[in-house]
Amino acid sequence: MAQINLDAVTKVFGDTRVVDDLSLNVADGEFMVLVGPSGCGKTTALRMLAGLEDVTSGTISIGGQVVNNVLPKDRDVAMVFQNYALYPHMSVEKNIGFALKVRGDSKNEVKRKVADAAAILHLSEYLDRRPKALSGGQRQRVAMGRAIVRNPRAFLMDEPLSNLDAKLRVEMRLEIARIQRLLGVATVYVTHDQVEAMTMGDRVAVLRDGKLQQVDTPQRLYDHPDNEFVASFMGSPPMNLVRCQVRAGAQRVEIVVGAQTVELPWRYASSHDLPQSGGGVVVGVRPEDVTVADGSAPNTLRVRVERREALGAEILVHLSNLEADGVLAAREESALRLVAKMGPREQIAVGDEVSVRISPEHAHFFDATSGRTLRRE
Amino acid sequence: MTSLANRPTPPRSDGDGPVPGPLPPRLTRSLVGRWALFVVMVLVAVVMLYPFWVMIATSLKSEAQFLSGGGFSWLSWRNLSATLPLGQEVLSSTIVCSVSIAVILLVGLPAGFAFSKLRFRTSTTVFLIIVSAMMVPLQAILMPEFVNVTRLGLTGGYAGAIVVYASLGTPFSVFLFATYFRSVPDELIEAGIVDGLGYVGVLRRLVVPIAVPAIATVTVLQFIQIWDDLLVGLLFIQNTSERPITVGLAVLAAGRTTSIPELMAGSLVSALPAMVVYLGFQRYLVKGLTMGIDR
Repeated sequence: MAQINLDAVTKVFGDTRVVDDLSLNVADGEFMVLVGPSGCGKTTALRMLAGLEDVTSGTISIGGQVVNNVLPKDRDVAMVFQNYALYPHMSVEKNIGFALKVRGDSKNEVKRKVADAAAILHLSEYLDRRPKALSGGQRQRVAMGRAIVRNPRAFLMDEPLSNLDAKLRVEMRLEIARIQRLLGVATVYVTHDQVEAMTMGDRVAVLRDGKLQQVDTPQRLYDHPDNEFVASFMGSPPMNLVRCQVRAGAQRVEIVVGAQTVELPWRYASSHDLPQSGGGVVVGVRPEDVTVADGSAPNTLRVRVERREALGAEILVHLSNLEADGVLAAREESALRLVAKMGPREQIAVGDEVSVRISPEHAHFFDATSGRTLRRE
Repeated sequence: MTSLANRPTPPRSDGDGPVPGPLPPRLTRSLVGRWALFVVMVLVAVVMLYPFWVMIATSLKSEAQFLSGGGFSWLSWRNLSATLPLGQEVLSSTIVCSVSIAVILLVGLPAGFAFSKLRFRTSTTVFLIIVSAMMVPLQAILMPEFVNVTRLGLTGGYAGAIVVYASLGTPFSVFLFATYFRSVPDELIEAGIVDGLGYVGVLRRLVVPIAVPAIATVTVLQFIQIWDDLLVGLLFIQNTSERPITVGLAVLAAGRTTSIPELMAGSLVSALPAMVVYLGFQRYLVKGLTMGIDR
């Protein structure tokens, strides 16, 4: 067991900086999720940790020891691969015990440890089977077993659930989190699925184009994203991002959306570095913070329902704003598309014209050019 | 394309056995097709097996019986074992074959692994050069090869022939192994490395067991080629005591009077091992050409 440190780690393939100046600390026993769209460098970062890729610059240390030039086999880390990479010619028992056998553990010891791991993973009755005779979920468990049996200093997992069907994925998500807590081994888990990231990680590191965007607890990432990318990546459906003008006057902050104006609490002017009055800004609103309101209430937006997706427990409603005279905003710069998440009993139909209220407590402001949050630290 | 609605509905069965009535047209067609295929396969089998039948039948006759057409005799087998040191020749063929194949596998398997799984500069170029050696026919390089091997003083016994067979067979085996290992996911090798193996360990404990079908394919194809080859044995193995079975047969055929039954008996002895090896490895052979390693 150990902590993992990445210090200004960079990986260059040809002309591409796949991982760019990545610094990250994973505490002992912590479950760290690396998340980002495909090609963001998360898998490369993990492979550098495992020793399967060289580091172009920067240092990686595990348990205080710099491992840049340490062979994979001497790093004492275990890896779970996306396609499991089970040894097809070995039984489940041999697969799980292989690393121990290579290490030179005695036969009895290997047997005992494999039995323990198999019990944790509910695999005891399948020990004699070959991987070919197992279901996807069972293979996934074997891959986990191969990792946990070694009691390594760190677990590295590369999208281990992406080959499972939706139901099994939810099940194994809980299972992996349970085992990790049980063993208390520092874990780096790579995924492109923000739901996995939110539900599994103690902390989540969001990557984009090889650069670390933000690292924090899932809830803080969701509530206080550092930039537009994190805001739109975390959460499903993503945060509504609206380009609009801000007007900060005497004791009031207003945003101008097309022909409509919404007033927001004055405190945003002190907690955020809002631009000069009339300046452009990107306002972010989570779908659950858009609610249907009484048309006569102040600070509402007139919108038309374009699409309605009933998901059972909730309804996603796609909305377009209306100009002052009731026609649909056609011009690109004044057009607004919003997604609202509503309760299943909400009486709303396509074509309805309704007023919606943006929860004044939960607005986010981002710089219109850099996309960085305008929130003061 | 027929839509689902246009398809003839299959006869309904209530679980009381087959429903009487004409078979649906597709089933009839497939039955006719299967019978036609069967007839064609029988014809092909006859064409293939007839020479073996002739070999066996002829070898069980004396010269006179062969000319007159009827009768049964062990005479040609007795004569054959008197004229030819059959045991010695089969042994020679076996030694040349197995050592050559061992060399081919020992070089081809690691090389194929390296070309498909290790990243190094010029790997593609070197691979292409090696594989292009497959295109060179034996006859084209026979004379210079003979000169080289003679200069090395290896034309007496097995060594020269083994060197030639191994160098002719290796490019193919490199190609086959490289292609085969490309279907093995990289993660499998990486899992081994993370589990504590070096490249040699990976090769020995993971790659070889996975490569059994490819090993079988190379073995069978090379065995048939080397066992049945005459030219190299004739040229490079000059000690009479070490000559392989094919050379022995050639000597038999080159005599002033050739006894056809004896020749047939000898041919049978020479043909059998290749068949046995082929049949023995057939199961892997088919797998070797079709199997990939899936998730």
